[in-house]
Amino acid sequence: MSVRASRKALAAFALPGCITLGLFFLLPVGTVMTGALTDGGAFVRLVNDPVFWNGLKGTLIIGTAAPLFSLVVGFCIALTLARLAPKAKTAALIAVSLPLTFSGLIVAYGFILLLGRAGFVTLLLAELGFDPAVVGGFIFSPFGLGIAYSYYLVPRVVLIVLPAIGNFDRNQLIAARSLGAGAARAMIDVMLPQIAPSLVAAFCLTSAVAIGAYGTALALVGTQVNILPLVLYSKISETGTDLPAASAASLVLIAICVLIISLGEAVGRKGKASGA
Amino acid sequence: MPIVAIAYFLFLFSPVLLLALGSFGESWSNTLLPTGFTWRWYEEVAADPSFRRAFVTSLQIVGITCALNVLIGLPLAYAIQVGAKGGMRFAARLVTLLPVAVPDLVLAFGFILVFSSDQLPWLGSFWLLAAGHLVLTLPYTVTALVADMEQLRLDEYEHAAATLGAPFLARIRDIVFPLLSPSLVSSMLTVAALSIGEFQLSNLIAGFLSRPYPVVLLQAFYGATGFACAATIVLLLLATLASLASSLTSRLSKTKKEAAA
Amino acid sequence: MTLRYENVSFTYPGAKAGIFDISLEIGKGELLAIIGASGSGKSTILKLLAGFVSPDRGRIVIDEKDVSALSPEARRLGVVFQNYALFPHMRLWENVAYPLKVRGVSKTERRNCAVEMLDRVGMKSRADDLPAALSGGQQQRVALARALVFEPQGLLLDEPLSALDASLRVEMRDEILRVQRASGIATLLVTHDQEEALSIADKIAVMRDGRLIQLGTPRELYETPADAYVAGFVGQSNLWPGMIRADGVVETGIGSLACDTRGHKPGDAVTVFIRPERIVPSFDGAQQSADAGRAGGYFSGSVAADRYLGPIRRIDLNVQGGLIRLETHLRDAVTSVHVPADAIRLLPAN
Repeated sequence: MSVRASRKALAAFALPGCITLGLFFLLPVGTVMTGALTDGGAFVRLVNDPVFWNGLKGTLIIGTAAPLFSLVVGFCIALTLARLAPKAKTAALIAVSLPLTFSGLIVAYGFILLLGRAGFVTLLLAELGFDPAVVGGFIFSPFGLGIAYSYYLVPRVVLIVLPAIGNFDRNQLIAARSLGAGAARAMIDVMLPQIAPSLVAAFCLTSAVAIGAYGTALALVGTQVNILPLVLYSKISETGTDLPAASAASLVLIAICVLIISLGEAVGRKGKASGA
Repeated sequence: MPIVAIAYFLFLFSPVLLLALGSFGESWSNTLLPTGFTWRWYEEVAADPSFRRAFVTSLQIVGITCALNVLIGLPLAYAIQVGAKGGMRFAARLVTLLPVAVPDLVLAFGFILVFSSDQLPWLGSFWLLAAGHLVLTLPYTVTALVADMEQLRLDEYEHAAATLGAPFLARIRDIVFPLLSPSLVSSMLTVAALSIGEFQLSNLIAGFLSRPYPVVLLQAFYGATGFACAATIVLLLLATLASLASSLTSRLSKTKKEAAA
Repeated sequence: MTLRYENVSFTYPGAKAGIFDISLEIGKGELLAIIGASGSGKSTILKLLAGFVSPDRGRIVIDEKDVSALSPEARRLGVVFQNYALFPHMRLWENVAYPLKVRGVSKTERRNCAVEMLDRVGMKSRADDLPAALSGGQQQRVALARALVFEPQGLLLDEPLSALDASLRVEMRDEILRVQRASGIATLLVTHDQEEALSIADKIAVMRDGRLIQLGTPRELYETPADAYVAGFVGQSNLWPGMIRADGVVETGIGSLACDTRGHKPGDAVTVFIRPERIVPSFDGAQQSADAGRAGGYFSGSVAADRYLGPIRRIDLNVQGGLIRLETHLRDAVTSVHVPADAIRLLPAN
């Protein structure tokens, strides 16, 4: 087939990886799925559980609010970075992408210090007459959680959107303006449609990440906030719970993520095909 | 736009700054900033036996995860890039997307179900934790290495080496390894950063005696602020170092390549 | 040492593109150039010989031995790649010595060989540099040295000059020819640049849609192209559709022309072909043309374009019923031309 390596060699190369992924990824995930599907009552019990519905609501809120907020911020950052000189751009990009490898715990505790009930900003605002109980409670709500999530979602947005902006020929904006369009008008009419696929892809990826994450939330609020991963977490970590129902909740979580990612892939591929 | 960027960088650094300040502050309760200066919290973290053990466990897990990523991820990435036609390309994309499609929490649940069985009673063991970290980081390694192989135009160099008479193993030794080593180092540093901060899977599958650092760290959040800050800063420093080193190695090899072009 | 294709066919899996029933031979010391538009299959020809792909049908023969099933490393062919593919992590001498290294030559010996080879391409002084420090032309020289150092059975050049500046191209062309002649090696050159092929090849094969449409010396190709495609691909030309009216006379859009019509019978459709430089400006011809009529091969008209190209001018002359393209070194205004009968060739109609 290829001159570079025989079929046999390639198969041997791929084998350990396939075994690893099979044993430690497909098998566990498959077990969860079959656990949900073999117990016919699991979904019924789940659907009748108000905690599940509350969690789902919270998850959908955070899965929309956090990526939207991150998208707006990330887009502005990417626009700013795109205009920097190469060296400054590199440095800024390294700084921006640092949080990607940060543990969710670091983010959680940092935000407790910043926006918690006795946080820096909370106390600062209290000086101005804002009620610390209200301000300090914000970070523990799904919206507040979304802000904390954006700490590591924004870098993902920047990394996806920046190349698209870099590939966009800025002369088009100049051309549009020379034809009489205002700055904002030119951006909306000329630039946005061309980078829209990358924006959608970034939204979908960050949305899926926000929906699946639980570390930051657990560290911030324990299991007190109603989001699906925390509902699932308490089901798993408490002994003697309904495991098939937990499997069913897992399945719902996976289904949401897969749906969102497929959407992103579909739009991303379309953008690539038309861009080429 | 620049205003948003400046605000964002404030947003990015203020939690870190507060953590750093808190870790050196003698006391911090209901004041804007901590008061006093002390090394005490770091000394306490260093003296804490569970933190010490967790620290060592984390370093061991990181080392093993990186080693396994090289041994398993590199050949897999090579196989995918060489065989990259139609179906294989799709398979590669799938490997990249799976970890996002399946939340860590669900994977952890699956680990609990599968590895607490009588056939595979590995739950709570050190090696299962390492396997978990491997599975979480493998997609990253494969994606990064495949992208770098494309960018390096590895196929052209291998073809050239073949016409010069080099058989498969000689090509791997003389061409593939040397050309790929900077990206390999850079990827492994990122893997180290990811592994060291991993919490979501470890929290549910680690045994009590093999808890990695982040899992133990969570307990500290319920104690003294200074101690929690110091313990968090330790983790932050490790992750930042690995991550920066990764960026720098990849940057270095890229500038070298640009100079060559 | 000859390189030979025997009725070779190959199509890419899942695609229609490929090459069909190609037979070619390159003798010792001979330089065969393959030209064609992109997608014509010329690169596939090289890949088949180098061993990057194997033929579906037919045989690849090197030195009377069937190598169709051999891997590239077993074929002993030196290849110069379009982007040179110098190993960026090896010094120049290490690059050139690499084929010797994999053949188990000792380090001192292979270094000596490599430096000597670098000397032959004028790069000895840079032996310890990395490829990144070199210009395109210098990389080209090193790639050539590396491809020849292990005394291969053939030399394969894949668009070797396409990455170079125009000014450097002519120099490197001569350099390649010099080194190739000195080593007396059978050489295959793949290029899309017909001028490059004309200037250095002993023989040229013209490819179109995966088929070999003409094989001949540069002179044969230029003067007696097999069809209008070859005529148009190699050099400039006038190509007019025409019909044989009687023996020795062909009718075209601009009028009747006298020419040799052997091999055709009246009523046959043909393409009339004439090189622009064979058209003769005629300064006292206006009157003659009026007298002798168009059948005498004299035409008058108005200048549609007059391109100054330094040594020559390329002129488009609008005449009644068509356009005549001519080249002349004369500086005077041209409004009349003579189309000599012996300059006309008849090609198959499209």
